[in-house]
Amino acid sequence: MSNSNQQQIMKKYKYLILLVFLMAGIQACRKLNIPPKNIIQDQDVFTSNGGIQAYMARLYSELPIEDFRYSPQRGLNFFWIISPTPATTGEALSRDQTGSMQENLGGWNWNFWGGSYTIIHDCDYFIQTLPKYASTYSTAQVNAWLGEAYFIRGMTYFALVKRVGGVPIVNTVLNYTPGSDVTDLKVPRSSEQAVWDQVGSDFDFAIANLPAVNTDYSDGSRANKYVAAAFKSRAMLYAGSIAKYNTATLFDANKNQLCGIPASAAASYFQKAYDAAKILDGAYSLYLSAWSATDKTAQYQNFINMFFDAASKENIFVREYNYPNSVHGYDAYNVPRQLIGPNGYSSEVNPSLNFVEMFGGLPKNADGTLKTLDASGHYILYNNTMDLFANAEPRLRATVIFPGDAFKGQNIEIRRGIYTGSSAGGISPLLPAGSRSQYPLTNLVISSTSTQTAYKLPNGTLMNPAGLSGIFTGDQTCAISGFSVRKWLDPNLPTSQAKENNETQTWIEMRYAEVLLNRAEAELELGSAGTNGANAADAFTVINQIRSRAGATLLAGTGSLTIDTLRMERRKELAFENKTYWDLKRWRIFDKEQNGTIYKILMPFYSSDAGKFFFDARTDERNDTYTYDPRWYYEQIPQGAIQKSTNLIQNPGY
Amino acid sequence: MKKLFYTAMCLVVVVASSCSKVDNYAPPSSTLSGSTIDEATGQTVQTEIGGGGTRVKLLETSYSANPTPYYFQSMQDGTFNNTKLFAATYKVSVEGPFVPIVQTDNTGTVTSDASQTIVLKGSATVNFKVQPFLRIEWVGKPVFNADKTVTVQVKITRGTNNAAYQLDVTNINLYVSNTQYDGNNNYDPRYSTLVSYSGSTGTSLLGQTITITTIGGAMPAQDVYFRVGARINAGLDEYNYSTPVTVPYP
Repeated sequence: MSNSNQQQIMKKYKYLILLVFLMAGIQACRKLNIPPKNIIQDQDVFTSNGGIQAYMARLYSELPIEDFRYSPQRGLNFFWIISPTPATTGEALSRDQTGSMQENLGGWNWNFWGGSYTIIHDCDYFIQTLPKYASTYSTAQVNAWLGEAYFIRGMTYFALVKRVGGVPIVNTVLNYTPGSDVTDLKVPRSSEQAVWDQVGSDFDFAIANLPAVNTDYSDGSRANKYVAAAFKSRAMLYAGSIAKYNTATLFDANKNQLCGIPASAAASYFQKAYDAAKILDGAYSLYLSAWSATDKTAQYQNFINMFFDAASKENIFVREYNYPNSVHGYDAYNVPRQLIGPNGYSSEVNPSLNFVEMFGGLPKNADGTLKTLDASGHYILYNNTMDLFANAEPRLRATVIFPGDAFKGQNIEIRRGIYTGSSAGGISPLLPAGSRSQYPLTNLVISSTSTQTAYKLPNGTLMNPAGLSGIFTGDQTCAISGFSVRKWLDPNLPTSQAKENNETQTWIEMRYAEVLLNRAEAELELGSAGTNGANAADAFTVINQIRSRAGATLLAGTGSLTIDTLRMERRKELAFENKTYWDLKRWRIFDKEQNGTIYKILMPFYSSDAGKFFFDARTDERNDTYTYDPRWYYEQIPQGAIQKSTNLIQNPGY
Repeated sequence: MKKLFYTAMCLVVVVASSCSKVDNYAPPSSTLSGSTIDEATGQTVQTEIGGGGTRVKLLETSYSANPTPYYFQSMQDGTFNNTKLFAATYKVSVEGPFVPIVQTDNTGTVTSDASQTIVLKGSATVNFKVQPFLRIEWVGKPVFNADKTVTVQVKITRGTNNAAYQLDVTNINLYVSNTQYDGNNNYDPRYSTLVSYSGSTGTSLLGQTITITTIGGAMPAQDVYFRVGARINAGLDEYNYSTPVTVPYP
């Protein structure tokens, strides 16, 4: 372009710019009394079903539940789940989670405080604004929507109080006028008891105003009165447990008890939990579609199908996903190593032997540990690794993949190594009982990675030292505990689709089995408080319903149902559903269970001399030590939240 | 090029002008040191390093009547020293495995408060006489056995007669570590002996000579430190400790 040409163009631009300025200037003389067209106004949202649905969609998507996208390390609604929750509770071991932890509430990827109060604000705003537009809808419709907003607010207070104790209760929208005093906006923490009562009353409103079936979505992804009742039973059970078992206390200057509830309140909370659970009687039922009283395989299959059947009458409240807007990657992170997806990961959740030993149908020693040695102290030999688990409880098999069990048409091969020593007279334990040392490498062939060099067996055939799913000593992308998780894994998902941010399997947050367990626990706690002893019989019936569906041996009599057996049942039934973390916390036994604890694993070996398999039960080879700090029962309020609202008092010990 | 030059000059002016303000507030330079002392023995109260041990709590009352507390950790031997504090008036207390300096009843009423208020300028020393929950003393030195395991003997007694803290002993642990910073947050799980007690089993060992042997077979031929920790379930369940000791490998 020539120079003169450029100048001409420049001139043109000058005029153009002048013109734009002039026009803008003239425009600016008008009074700005038109609502901005690019901001959605209340009347756009609150006058149509579509607007309300959009509002609800946001609230539900932010609803704080510990689903496929939750881990204590990275918080809620985060895609990357490589420090899985079960690896913090002892249910499982993971290469990326090597000890106890409190939730990372102050982490950059989890706006815990601000996020929770945004949801509460949005619920408050909805509750305040909808009545102004009530004439557009039927009364029943308005009540139902208000019920949902109260439900979501109750859920959010519940999520706050179970983590940090008493929090500010903000039930009206706070407005800030620039330049005004902000003292009133710095709402202090209420007592813990007041917040639990707030949770209870929000759920009560929802129960009273929601219909039995949500008319917008009847598939359990939005609340109905039973959903609210089920969560109320959970919340009140938590509150009762804290009143009964908590010992930490914190008071503010006005003697509000920010942490802890007087023990005298326990019974009333347990009663509320029981009453709320009873509301669901007859409305939902345990899933038994493929179940048969006499067929263990059918019981196993039934327990698996339960997590995939959208028509299940056991599902009370679920979170649905949708590709590509809202997705997760559970299978990618957790499939056994030999079924690894195209983008890697696999084997993040490896159930511990401690977890497996809770179940029946396994050969046990007198102290309840798994029997791996015969009477003479030598390893018991098996033709097949699955022989040890031949009579295992069907629920366990549906929860955990055993070494050698079938999944997606493959046998999941888990083997620590090949023992090449003599088997004459029996094989003695590789290490002394209780030893935390590495296995001695004499007479042992192992693999450090999945690229293996086959070992030539005495009969001339070749065998890889480790199984296809591990254990690889240098590469922990394998079944490090000797087991792989089974629950939630989709048996029909092609391996090519086992990718993160690709899956849409539904998360079941609340199922009827939990409501039954809540009811039984409340009954037992009330029984031991001496106010309602007769309910022990009902608790016994309820637990046997769950055990019968699981294929477990039924309890013999009410005498064998103690609070400890009930808790064990709950941990088995709800394992890997991110519930145990909260249960251990509210029972205040986390620090007892994780007190310098090293969890146990079960290592399958092949004896080349005997041509058979044996198992070695030992502590985690990595010596990962779990110690739960009792301070964590009341988690640390993020420092940033206190800096913004200086009336907040930090929990003890931080 | 010229344009570029002018733009650059403009940037220089902007950048340079933003340097004009001088941040002239002096850095914190006052020193607070002191120790937590067992009022019966006069020894400092052993603790663990990091968040699970004794810490010093400062309330800067010259700033606000209700300030956000500032904490710093005590050293393992029960002494503390902070050389980067602002000169101000502080209400100082310590929190750790001993009868609390500030006690409240079950309704939140403060029943006793032994905090010390100091006007800090330059340096100051504050010592706190406390009653540890438990007192752990060595009986002799750790001994190497023939199989290269190590046996230690300790005596544990209560450090307080306060009725509220006569709780059962829940843990007595022998910690083994290759540094002297030995404690519940830093030990070698292969050799350390951790024992939990329920009911009064642990309590019945009080006042007696307790013998503990390391687990896991022969100790490695290297410097190893031993320390015994014990606790009751009070406050934040922190441990009381013996002093760390080492013995030469035979």
